[in-house]
Amino acid sequence: MLKNRVKEMRARHSLTQSDLGKQVDVTRQTIAFIEKGEFSPSITLSLKLAKALQVDVNELFWLEGDEYNEK
Amino acid sequence: MKNDFRLKYPLWMMAFIVLLAIIAYSLDSPVMEYVNNSNETSMEITIEPAKGIVLLVSLALYFTLLAIFLLQLKKYNRQNPTQKISAISIRPPEYLEQDEGMTYITRKAVQKVYTYITWALPILATIAIILPLSKLYIIYGILTVALGQYLIFYFEIRKHVKEETE
Repeated sequence: MLKNRVKEMRARHSLTQSDLGKQVDVTRQTIAFIEKGEFSPSITLSLKLAKALQVDVNELFWLEGDEYNEK
Repeated sequence: MKNDFRLKYPLWMMAFIVLLAIIAYSLDSPVMEYVNNSNETSMEITIEPAKGIVLLVSLALYFTLLAIFLLQLKKYNRQNPTQKISAISIRPPEYLEQDEGMTYITRKAVQKVYTYITWALPILATIAIILPLSKLYIIYGILTVALGQYLIFYFEIRKHVKEETE
Protein backbone atom coordinates (compact mmCIF):
# COMPACT_ATOMS: atom_id res chain seq x y z
CA MET A 1 0.00 0.00 0.00
CA LEU A 2 1.23 3.47 -0.85
CA LYS A 3 1.76 5.77 2.13
CA ASN A 4 2.30 9.49 1.95
CA ARG A 5 2.96 12.62 3.95
CA VAL A 6 1.20 15.07 1.66
CA LYS A 7 -0.89 16.45 4.52
CA GLU A 8 2.18 17.02 6.72
CA MET A 9 4.15 18.71 3.92
CA ARG A 10 1.16 20.77 2.86
CA ALA A 11 0.77 22.02 6.45
CA ARG A 12 4.48 22.82 6.55
CA HIS A 13 4.00 25.11 3.56
CA SER A 14 0.76 26.53 5.01
CA LEU A 15 -1.19 25.43 1.99
CA THR A 16 -4.84 24.43 1.88
CA GLN A 17 -5.98 21.46 -0.17
CA SER A 18 -7.42 23.93 -2.68
CA ASP A 19 -4.10 25.82 -2.94
CA LEU A 20 -2.15 22.64 -3.54
CA GLY A 21 -4.79 21.36 -5.96
CA LYS A 22 -4.49 24.55 -8.01
CA GLN A 23 -0.70 24.25 -8.10
CA VAL A 24 -0.81 20.72 -9.50
CA ASP A 25 -3.98 21.21 -11.55
CA VAL A 26 -6.34 18.85 -9.71
CA THR A 27 -9.46 19.33 -7.59
CA ARG A 28 -9.38 19.78 -3.81
CA GLN A 29 -11.18 16.44 -3.53
CA THR A 30 -8.34 14.63 -5.26
CA ILE A 31 -5.81 16.07 -2.78
CA ALA A 32 -8.09 14.88 0.04
CA PHE A 33 -8.33 11.36 -1.47
CA ILE A 34 -4.53 11.19 -1.73
CA GLU A 35 -4.00 12.38 1.86
CA LYS A 36 -6.42 9.75 3.15
CA GLY A 37 -4.59 7.08 1.15
CA GLU A 38 -7.84 6.29 -0.62
CA PHE A 39 -6.30 6.79 -4.00
CA SER A 40 -2.77 6.28 -5.32
CA PRO A 41 -1.81 9.11 -7.69
CA SER A 42 -0.11 8.58 -11.02
CA ILE A 43 3.67 9.07 -11.35
CA THR A 44 3.04 12.38 -13.13
CA LEU A 45 0.84 13.71 -10.32
CA SER A 46 3.24 12.38 -7.66
CA LEU A 47 6.12 14.25 -9.30
CA LYS A 48 4.02 17.42 -9.59
CA LEU A 49 3.11 17.18 -5.88
CA ALA A 50 6.72 16.62 -4.88
CA LYS A 51 7.77 19.64 -6.93
CA ALA A 52 5.00 21.83 -5.46
CA LEU A 53 5.92 20.77 -1.93
CA GLN A 54 9.66 21.08 -2.65
CA VAL A 55 10.58 17.57 -1.59
CA ASP A 56 11.91 14.48 -3.24
CA VAL A 57 9.13 12.18 -4.43
CA ASN A 58 10.55 9.38 -2.23
CA GLU A 59 10.07 11.55 0.82
CA LEU A 60 6.48 12.23 -0.11
CA PHE A 61 5.41 8.73 -1.13
CA TRP A 62 6.67 5.35 -0.03
CA LEU A 63 5.52 1.77 0.15
CA GLU A 64 4.17 0.49 3.45
CA GLY A 65 6.96 -1.26 5.33
CA ASP A 66 9.70 0.98 3.97
CA GLU A 67 11.93 1.40 7.04
CA TYR A 68 13.39 4.79 6.10
CA ASN A 69 10.04 6.55 5.83
CA GLU A 70 8.14 4.57 8.45
CA LYS A 71 10.37 5.65 11.34
CA MET B 1 -18.08 20.59 -5.50
CA LYS B 2 -21.09 19.60 -3.41
CA ASN B 3 -23.20 21.98 -5.50
CA ASP B 4 -21.86 20.61 -8.77
CA PHE B 5 -24.79 19.95 -11.11
CA ARG B 6 -23.23 16.64 -12.15
CA LEU B 7 -23.51 15.39 -8.56
CA LYS B 8 -27.21 16.20 -8.51
CA TYR B 9 -27.87 14.81 -11.99
CA PRO B 10 -28.81 11.31 -10.72
CA LEU B 11 -31.38 12.91 -8.37
CA TRP B 12 -33.00 14.66 -11.31
CA MET B 13 -33.11 11.42 -13.26
CA MET B 14 -34.69 9.62 -10.28
CA ALA B 15 -37.40 12.29 -10.10
CA PHE B 16 -38.11 11.87 -13.83
CA ILE B 17 -38.29 8.09 -13.39
CA VAL B 18 -40.81 8.39 -10.54
CA LEU B 19 -42.96 10.70 -12.68
CA LEU B 20 -42.70 8.29 -15.62
CA ALA B 21 -43.96 5.51 -13.33
CA ILE B 22 -46.97 7.65 -12.38
CA ILE B 23 -47.62 8.48 -16.05
CA ALA B 24 -47.38 4.76 -16.90
CA TYR B 25 -49.94 4.00 -14.16
CA SER B 26 -52.37 6.61 -15.47
CA LEU B 27 -52.03 5.32 -19.04
CA ASP B 28 -52.51 1.69 -18.03
CA SER B 29 -55.41 -0.09 -19.76
CA PRO B 30 -57.01 2.82 -21.62
CA VAL B 31 -60.03 1.93 -23.74
CA MET B 32 -59.08 2.42 -27.37
CA GLU B 33 -61.48 2.54 -30.25
CA TYR B 34 -60.12 2.66 -33.76
CA VAL B 35 -62.51 3.16 -36.66
CA ASN B 36 -61.35 2.86 -40.23
CA ASN B 37 -64.06 2.48 -42.83
CA SER B 38 -65.24 4.17 -46.01
CA ASN B 39 -67.06 6.88 -44.02
CA GLU B 40 -64.50 7.75 -41.35
CA THR B 41 -61.07 7.16 -39.90
CA SER B 42 -60.79 7.93 -36.22
CA MET B 43 -59.17 6.81 -33.01
CA GLU B 44 -60.59 7.38 -29.56
CA ILE B 45 -58.72 6.79 -26.32
CA THR B 46 -60.76 6.78 -23.13
CA ILE B 47 -59.06 7.00 -19.73
CA GLU B 48 -60.84 6.64 -16.38
CA PRO B 49 -61.57 10.08 -14.83
CA ALA B 50 -59.32 9.50 -11.80
CA LYS B 51 -56.46 8.26 -13.97
CA GLY B 52 -57.04 11.16 -16.34
CA ILE B 53 -56.49 13.63 -13.48
CA VAL B 54 -53.37 11.73 -12.39
CA LEU B 55 -52.11 11.86 -15.99
CA LEU B 56 -52.69 15.60 -16.33
CA VAL B 57 -51.07 16.41 -12.97
CA SER B 58 -48.09 14.12 -13.60
CA LEU B 59 -47.58 15.50 -17.12
CA ALA B 60 -47.73 19.06 -15.76
CA LEU B 61 -45.19 18.10 -13.07
CA TYR B 62 -43.00 16.37 -15.63
CA PHE B 63 -42.80 19.39 -17.92
CA THR B 64 -42.34 21.78 -14.97
CA LEU B 65 -39.47 19.62 -13.71
CA LEU B 66 -38.03 19.45 -17.22
CA ALA B 67 -38.12 23.25 -17.51
CA ILE B 68 -36.37 23.68 -14.11
CA PHE B 69 -33.83 21.01 -15.08
CA LEU B 70 -33.01 22.76 -18.37
CA LEU B 71 -32.70 26.12 -16.59
CA GLN B 72 -30.31 24.60 -14.03
CA LEU B 73 -28.33 23.01 -16.84
CA LYS B 74 -28.10 26.33 -18.65
CA LYS B 75 -26.93 28.03 -15.43
CA TYR B 76 -24.29 25.35 -14.87
CA ASN B 77 -23.03 25.64 -18.46
CA ARG B 78 -22.80 29.42 -18.12
CA GLN B 79 -20.77 29.05 -14.90
CA ASN B 80 -18.61 26.22 -16.28
CA PRO B 81 -17.88 27.06 -19.92
CA THR B 82 -15.01 24.56 -20.06
CA GLN B 83 -17.05 21.65 -18.70
CA LYS B 84 -20.38 22.08 -20.45
CA ILE B 85 -23.05 19.40 -20.17
CA SER B 86 -25.25 18.61 -23.15
CA ALA B 87 -28.89 17.74 -22.44
CA ILE B 88 -28.84 15.24 -25.31
CA SER B 89 -25.40 13.73 -24.75
CA ILE B 90 -24.96 9.97 -25.25
CA ARG B 91 -22.23 9.91 -22.62
CA PRO B 92 -23.75 10.07 -19.10
CA PRO B 93 -23.17 13.63 -17.85
CA GLU B 94 -22.87 12.50 -14.23
CA TYR B 95 -19.36 11.20 -14.87
CA LEU B 96 -16.83 13.27 -12.91
CA GLU B 97 -13.61 13.23 -14.86
CA GLN B 98 -11.90 16.56 -14.16
CA ASP B 99 -8.78 14.80 -12.91
CA GLU B 100 -7.48 11.37 -11.96
CA GLY B 101 -8.95 11.47 -8.44
CA MET B 102 -12.46 12.19 -9.68
CA THR B 103 -12.05 9.65 -12.48
CA TYR B 104 -11.12 7.11 -9.80
CA ILE B 105 -14.30 7.64 -7.74
CA THR B 106 -16.42 7.68 -10.92
CA ARG B 107 -14.87 4.34 -11.90
CA LYS B 108 -15.69 2.89 -8.48
CA ALA B 109 -19.30 4.07 -8.75
CA VAL B 110 -19.65 2.77 -12.31
CA GLN B 111 -18.26 -0.62 -11.25
CA LYS B 112 -20.94 -0.86 -8.56
CA VAL B 113 -23.66 0.11 -11.04
CA TYR B 114 -22.37 -2.44 -13.55
CA THR B 115 -22.44 -5.18 -10.91
CA TYR B 116 -26.00 -4.19 -10.01
CA ILE B 117 -27.15 -4.18 -13.65
CA THR B 118 -25.45 -7.54 -14.26
CA TRP B 119 -27.72 -9.05 -11.61
CA ALA B 120 -30.84 -6.92 -11.88
CA LEU B 121 -31.59 -7.37 -15.60
CA PRO B 122 -31.46 -11.22 -15.66
CA ILE B 123 -33.51 -11.33 -12.44
CA LEU B 124 -36.08 -8.97 -13.97
CA ALA B 125 -36.17 -11.00 -17.19
CA THR B 126 -36.63 -14.26 -15.22
CA ILE B 127 -39.47 -12.76 -13.15
CA ALA B 128 -41.14 -11.47 -16.34
CA ILE B 129 -40.86 -14.95 -17.94
CA ILE B 130 -42.10 -16.93 -14.93
CA LEU B 131 -44.87 -14.70 -13.61
CA PRO B 132 -47.86 -13.67 -15.72
CA LEU B 133 -47.20 -9.94 -15.25
CA SER B 134 -49.07 -7.16 -16.94
CA LYS B 135 -47.27 -4.63 -19.13
CA LEU B 136 -47.48 -2.08 -16.30
CA TYR B 137 -45.56 -4.29 -13.84
CA ILE B 138 -42.85 -4.98 -16.41
CA ILE B 139 -42.53 -1.21 -16.97
CA TYR B 140 -42.31 -0.75 -13.18
CA GLY B 141 -39.58 -3.40 -13.07
CA ILE B 142 -37.54 -1.61 -15.74
CA LEU B 143 -38.02 1.76 -14.02
CA THR B 144 -37.01 0.24 -10.66
CA VAL B 145 -33.78 -1.06 -12.19
CA ALA B 146 -33.13 2.40 -13.69
CA LEU B 147 -33.90 4.08 -10.36
CA GLY B 148 -31.58 1.66 -8.57
CA GLN B 149 -28.65 2.42 -10.87
CA TYR B 150 -28.93 6.16 -10.19
CA LEU B 151 -29.30 5.53 -6.44
CA ILE B 152 -26.13 3.41 -6.36
CA PHE B 153 -24.16 5.92 -8.43
CA TYR B 154 -25.36 8.90 -6.40
CA PHE B 155 -24.62 7.39 -2.97
CA GLU B 156 -21.21 6.07 -4.02
CA ILE B 157 -20.07 9.47 -5.35
CA ARG B 158 -21.68 11.30 -2.42
CA LYS B 159 -19.88 9.03 0.06
CA HIS B 160 -16.49 10.06 -1.32
CA VAL B 161 -17.26 13.75 -1.77
CA LYS B 162 -18.82 13.94 1.71
CA GLU B 163 -15.86 12.24 3.39
CA GLU B 164 -13.21 14.58 2.05
CA THR B 165 -12.03 17.31 4.40
CA GLU B 166 -10.10 20.54 4.03
